Amino acid sequence: MIDVPKRSGKAKFRGKVLATLAFALWQSTAYGQMNHQHASEAACEETNLRCASKVTPAFGPDGKLWLTWMAGGQVSVASSKDGGRSYSAPVLVTKERLNLDSGPDARPKITVDHNGGIALAFAIFKDKAFNGQVLYTRSADGGKSFAELRPITSSNESQRFEALALDGDGTVFAAWLDKRNRVPAQQRGQKYDGAGLFFASSNDGGATYSESLLAQDNTCECCRLGLAFAGPGRPVVVFRKIFEGGVRDHAIVTFSDPAMPGEVHRVSWDDWQIAACPHHGPSLSISAAGTYHVAWYTNGKVRKGLFYARSRDGGKTFSAPVPIGRPDRNPTRPYVIAGPREAAMVWKEFDGEKTTVNLMTSRDDGATWSSPKAISSTTDTSDHPLLISDGRRSYLSWMTKADGYRIQPIVEEP
Amino acid sequence: MKRQLLSGAFLLAFLLTAPAAETPRELKPFGRGSWQDILRSHAGRPTIVHFWGVTCGPCKVELPLLGQFMRDHSAIDMVTISADLVPDLPGAARSMLEKSGLAPAENWIFSDGFVERLRFEIDPAWQGDIPRTKLISREGAITTIEGSAEMKELEKWFDQQLAMRR
Repeated sequence: MIDVPKRSGKAKFRGKVLATLAFALWQSTAYGQMNHQHASEAACEETNLRCASKVTPAFGPDGKLWLTWMAGGQVSVASSKDGGRSYSAPVLVTKERLNLDSGPDARPKITVDHNGGIALAFAIFKDKAFNGQVLYTRSADGGKSFAELRPITSSNESQRFEALALDGDGTVFAAWLDKRNRVPAQQRGQKYDGAGLFFASSNDGGATYSESLLAQDNTCECCRLGLAFAGPGRPVVVFRKIFEGGVRDHAIVTFSDPAMPGEVHRVSWDDWQIAACPHHGPSLSISAAGTYHVAWYTNGKVRKGLFYARSRDGGKTFSAPVPIGRPDRNPTRPYVIAGPREAAMVWKEFDGEKTTVNLMTSRDDGATWSSPKAISSTTDTSDHPLLISDGRRSYLSWMTKADGYRIQPIVEEP
Repeated sequence: MKRQLLSGAFLLAFLLTAPAAETPRELKPFGRGSWQDILRSHAGRPTIVHFWGVTCGPCKVELPLLGQFMRDHSAIDMVTISADLVPDLPGAARSMLEKSGLAPAENWIFSDGFVERLRFEIDPAWQGDIPRTKLISREGAITTIEGSAEMKELEKWFDQQLAMRR
């Protein structure tokens, strides 16, 4: 038996004091940890691709795959000459950690022109009220370096959810959601819902942008835009609009030239009346035949879930919405592309543990679609699935927290 | 002397552990199973669970109204859950809750990046739109209000809860 020596009164007292302080410090640390804890969509905190929460791809004219991503509070770019098996050393577009817009529908955007010039844009939260600011930059040396970041507009109001697209002549068209008309309307005593769809274009490869102009007021303020070209100089934007009575259904506008928005048409009558941020914007692609393909999410009175419709008259009218995915698997984040060989559509489904990316393809420009097929899966959080084309075939681009980034060719379904 | 030193240590302990008077209560980390924990801990009591986010415009308008509703209806359990995913969120969330008078509520914050799974546990069909409010009756019946809730609607529900109690 081992005798435990009795401690003196002083020692006991010192022990009590130390124990009390130790407990206090432990409590304080635990409290601090709890209050600094936040959910992370990323696998790690560094700036490399593996730590990205959002990855956006683009193919260059030479078939090189370009990626831009958000990781570690910064935006980076890298390229791959071998279809995504290996990548160049990443180049930081940002010089410091920024409060990047990390909303579910936010991501950096990239275009690569015929000369290899890269235009890039993304949004940050610029203040404690989470007002946004769209920043842009350009690389004229093949992605080796990027120009200093500049705001896409001089307006100090909030801008988010930018979209970039490249016209055939190298013009970069940008559209975004902008709250600049909100305060003036309120000062006039008028109610102003949502934000405005603003746009600008760049004739110098994204080095400078024209004055920003309004295409449409009262858009939903928290959903991504769908952007594509109907032909040279004719950008098309699909967006969630706030219709009469607070109904947040989708609308589309085709420009007659990059500075002239046309008439706004309604894509569907879902009747989703909601004063909320759906955080779930649409997807648009336009085929060589001029067919508009649109996919979207709604939780309206008329229909709920993901839907697809097409327009063969330049966005004036759309086909009856076709439901996408299994209703019991919460289908989400649709993306559609009119590729060189077929149209393809992907979306996510979730069974409570596993997320799958599902695919349908169409050989007749969206008139009929193949049966859905799961083509990828993951068991942790994931970015939206995206589709891109290199002019020969289409690819799925998908960032996942557990399994990293993947790009895989779309195999046409029978 | 010893008593004074010990008192001092306890005072220091209190100062280190107690949140400052103006600081809202800690945000509880909302992870897997938290939804069931909330349902269990409020069983038998009328409860309002409000999902919101600091980057959501309509939420900024609704939050102070809910704070006032809570002050006016002390018999209701008020639970808020921040369902946004932006960095450095806890500070911003606490600040907004405090300004809205919701600091005394039971306040949670999503603490798992796999938000699909968190949402699935709450409602398999919920895609993440906020604000969203769930009214949970004494019997456990859940009514979901998508988007901003009308305070009149909450009043009506509260009156029904009172009537059922009588």
